Amino acid sequence: MTRRAVESDVCIVGSGISAAMVAERLARTTSASIVVVEAGDETVPLAERPAMRDRAMRYGENPWGRDHLDGYEVEGPLQSRSMQVGGLAMHWGGVTPRFSPEDFRQRSLFGVGTDWPISYEELDPFYQEAEEVMGVAGEQGPPALDPRGRPFPMPPISLTYNLEQLKSWVTKAGIAMWSQPSAKNSVPYGGRAQCCRNDTCSPICPIGAKYSPDFTWNALRRGGSLRLVPRTLVRRLVLDPTGKEISHAVAVDRDRPNDPVEFHAKLFVVAAGYTWSSHLLLLSAQRGAPNGIANSSGHVGKYLTGHRNVQGFVDLPLRLYPGMNEQHSLVTKQFMRLEAGRKYIRHDLRVWESSVGKTPRLVDDTGALMLGDAILDDWRKRTRTGTARVRAYYDVIPDRSSELTLDPSRKNAWGDPLPKLAFRDAPESAELRGPTEDSIRSLFAAMAKAGDGKVLRTSVDNFQDHPAGGCRMGSEPSTSVVDSWGRSHDHANLFVVGAPTSVSGSCANATLTFCALALRSAHELERALPKRGGAGS
Amino acid sequence: MPLAVIVRRAHAATVEHLQTDPATLDALAEVVLPAAALGRAGIAKATKAFRDWGAGYRENAELVHGYGTSRLRATGPTPLTRWAKQLDDLDAAAQSAYRKPFRTIAAAERAAIVRAALAGQRLDRMPGVGDASHVALALLAHFYETSDAADLCYEAQIGKNQCRPLAASPRKPLPLLKVSER
Repeated sequence: MTRRAVESDVCIVGSGISAAMVAERLARTTSASIVVVEAGDETVPLAERPAMRDRAMRYGENPWGRDHLDGYEVEGPLQSRSMQVGGLAMHWGGVTPRFSPEDFRQRSLFGVGTDWPISYEELDPFYQEAEEVMGVAGEQGPPALDPRGRPFPMPPISLTYNLEQLKSWVTKAGIAMWSQPSAKNSVPYGGRAQCCRNDTCSPICPIGAKYSPDFTWNALRRGGSLRLVPRTLVRRLVLDPTGKEISHAVAVDRDRPNDPVEFHAKLFVVAAGYTWSSHLLLLSAQRGAPNGIANSSGHVGKYLTGHRNVQGFVDLPLRLYPGMNEQHSLVTKQFMRLEAGRKYIRHDLRVWESSVGKTPRLVDDTGALMLGDAILDDWRKRTRTGTARVRAYYDVIPDRSSELTLDPSRKNAWGDPLPKLAFRDAPESAELRGPTEDSIRSLFAAMAKAGDGKVLRTSVDNFQDHPAGGCRMGSEPSTSVVDSWGRSHDHANLFVVGAPTSVSGSCANATLTFCALALRSAHELERALPKRGGAGS
Repeated sequence: MPLAVIVRRAHAATVEHLQTDPATLDALAEVVLPAAALGRAGIAKATKAFRDWGAGYRENAELVHGYGTSRLRATGPTPLTRWAKQLDDLDAAAQSAYRKPFRTIAAAERAAIVRAALAGQRLDRMPGVGDASHVALALLAHFYETSDAADLCYEAQIGKNQCRPLAASPRKPLPLLKVSER
């Protein structure tokens, strides 16, 4: 057995989108040596993605190769099994709305949840930076609904003919909607191609028009800005003798499991998402940190958060052509912006083209089997009207018991307990659930009526999408894990970045917010590092 | 010999059989696919694509991960050997009823045999290709998930899932060319 040690200024654990934001910023502004440690394999190169997409479309095969670790079946709703260079954002939808100002002041404005230690206005420049790093195409919504300091870096993804029809419909219902901001190139950007509506953004963009973290990693590695170590699972963070700082990380190289690897650094950045960040901190229990690293408050793994959705399909007397760009949508923040003191019923709203209720079928209305041209004729008749998919995310205020814990009954190949996940509504959120879902269904009905259509069906997805939390930020060390910069209250050289630091899940896709938070952490990190081109660099 | 090897060989033999002797499959396609709308060339294109799909099938390949679960899923056993047996059954039914192979009997007679074969099958929705319980349903499922089928339905050049200029997206899709013009 040979012990190996890797030294750097900054050690980043994880290589997902938040890690990429931090690394890109630090490589751009500092001369720090950076090491990134990723448990999973390298991802599929861009050149191979058209073929992988083809198989995904034909057979439903996972286009990302071996993007998971064996033996990681966990109890509870894990967002995704993916673990690879680039993380879950290799197959994200690329949808990048911002949260709205209310999200950061729930307690002050509405008497529910917990205020964040930062405001929307403080986060605005970091939202902008994230949008510029990844390349976001967006349309400015009405400023009162969609405040932002500066314009989007790219013009919006144009609305399809279908979405133009649907926009006219929602306007009749009194709703202002616009093109969903997306990390997809409406024009060539960042050396990557313009979107050409392959329409498989999730699970895979075959041309690289959608941002994914591998582009950042490839650029940084080409430039010699950092070292990325794949197939290496960090198992523990180890305290220095004072117990105040992290000394090193202990990892297992999956190719040489008998030779432990240590990563020594001045600063440690845990950027492993909402599950694996809390998991690592809890696994790192040791003398001086009996409940895990950064966990003197007992809040590591607590307050897991996210949003549910109510979805509906509306049959409309419109001739639509499904397939023009099904993954792109209209969006509004009209129902996210809420006056202070009102009952906390908030949600976003998105509208897509859809083929639901209009797909080909095998039997007619009498139950008789159709063959040959009869199937096509029947399909043509049923597609003279169109279907809109409507969906509203609403945020779930998390209970403290909405948590990640270590599962003593399930262990990975190295004997470490796997995480166990349980999402639970705070009592105030449980009380709001019924009225919120009723309100959304009423909205769908009103929208259908405005377009002389009818709601085909609605459903509630109990899964909390875009999960976050577990290391929430706060000003008070007794009720949070990190400060507003993501710095551990307990250990000055330890940062947790991105999703786990979220206090609440908002009612909109959260990845851009995770990136903005990570970049804000990076600005704080760089204060402790030699500036690029400066003395000592 | 390990079972996996036997299965792989059976799959390969079926692929070869369908490539070298596609007549029964073609005859089936003529009665289940929209022959009038597709034309002879369209039917041939659809059956070739179906055979290619079968040839490319891989057992136990990891499927796209679901969200909200850590469970992994994989493709099942090859459906090709089952489908080959069902094509043989169609032939046997034709021989029994008409003393001729399925490929040579009239379209209406073929349709009657297919209807009999599908009696009792679950038909409430178009199945996934690989999950289809009968080769006739698999052929239908394969065709109707294509971009060509959607264009045919809407009689418009939508080009679903094809690389298309972003700038053209606000425009109503152009009309589909008639079979004679394609």
